[in-house]
Amino acid sequence: MTPVAPYLLQLLFALGGAGLYLLLPKSDRSRALPGAVLGLLALVGLVVVLAARVVVPDATSFYFYLFASIAVVAAVRVVTHPRPIYSALYFVLVVLAVAALLVLQGAEFLAIALVIIYAGAILVTYLFVIMLAQQGGSPLYDRNAREPFLAVLAGFVLMAAIAGHAGALPQTAVTPVIEAQSMIETSANTTPPGHTAEVGLMIMTQYVVVLEIAGVLLLVSMIGAIALSRKKVPVPERGRSQPLGQIGREVEPY
Amino acid sequence: MTGITEYLILGAILFALGLVGFLSRRNLIVIFLSTELMFQGVVINAVAYARLHHHLQGQAFALFLLAIAAVEAGLALGMIVMLYKRKGTLDAEAWSVMRG
Repeated sequence: MTPVAPYLLQLLFALGGAGLYLLLPKSDRSRALPGAVLGLLALVGLVVVLAARVVVPDATSFYFYLFASIAVVAAVRVVTHPRPIYSALYFVLVVLAVAALLVLQGAEFLAIALVIIYAGAILVTYLFVIMLAQQGGSPLYDRNAREPFLAVLAGFVLMAAIAGHAGALPQTAVTPVIEAQSMIETSANTTPPGHTAEVGLMIMTQYVVVLEIAGVLLLVSMIGAIALSRKKVPVPERGRSQPLGQIGREVEPY
Repeated sequence: MTGITEYLILGAILFALGLVGFLSRRNLIVIFLSTELMFQGVVINAVAYARLHHHLQGQAFALFLLAIAAVEAGLALGMIVMLYKRKGTLDAEAWSVMRG
């Protein structure tokens, strides 16, 4: 595989950033179409530049580019859609595409866990909160992004720093390859890395303390979330709003 | 066979998109959805390095990352509900007085 010229990548990132800037919600909707065209152009250019390096095309790389494109397009829609409920649904699409990419990389357990935890649990919570808190229609703050140019600039600088030179990275591990310790008695044909049983063994032996800490963290956050939502909050009457800073004073400590 | 470069670039793209959403959107729910988007980019990077080094540490790391994401989502959504009860809006600008 030949390395990719960094300036070419950064040119494409700049093109995509310009498309994203035009796509971010603003009061005039006329900018969405050129933004979408620019963004798709950048995506296609990125795929072409990266795929041209593949010497022997096979099914894996085809599926990679398919799911990666789905993930990127859906992620752009998450960020740019003016209605949060559609943002959440597009995020489900991102999670499913990422899970497919994890399967391609031999992380089957992680892929299933991602679908169950993210698409199953976290996103349902998000949808509940959206249903609880969303007013009808699309309010003004959803249709107006805050400082879209500066935000896109920050994202572009981050991209240039992280991925601008990714094309020049070595394709194999620089450090000596550490073989995954197979603690299962395997026969001559060893299990490929990424096998679920090996991940489970690793977590339950090498990382068991971390696992316990993660459990405690989940417990603490559950208690915190319950304590937050149990608190009685005085709702100021309409028309006679309390001065800022006085609202929290009357809350009885729970 | 795709190398690690493509995965790194994809992870960086997802992370940067999440950052842009976090900085520019005004709806509290979309802001936290953007952080979840950044988590996805990190998961892809971790698993790509796990495959590069033929070691499962990256996958274990990504698994704990899922736990952190669940913690973050639970607390953040509890806070969003509380903030919504106080002001009746999801606009982050409504709380700009907290900037000090």
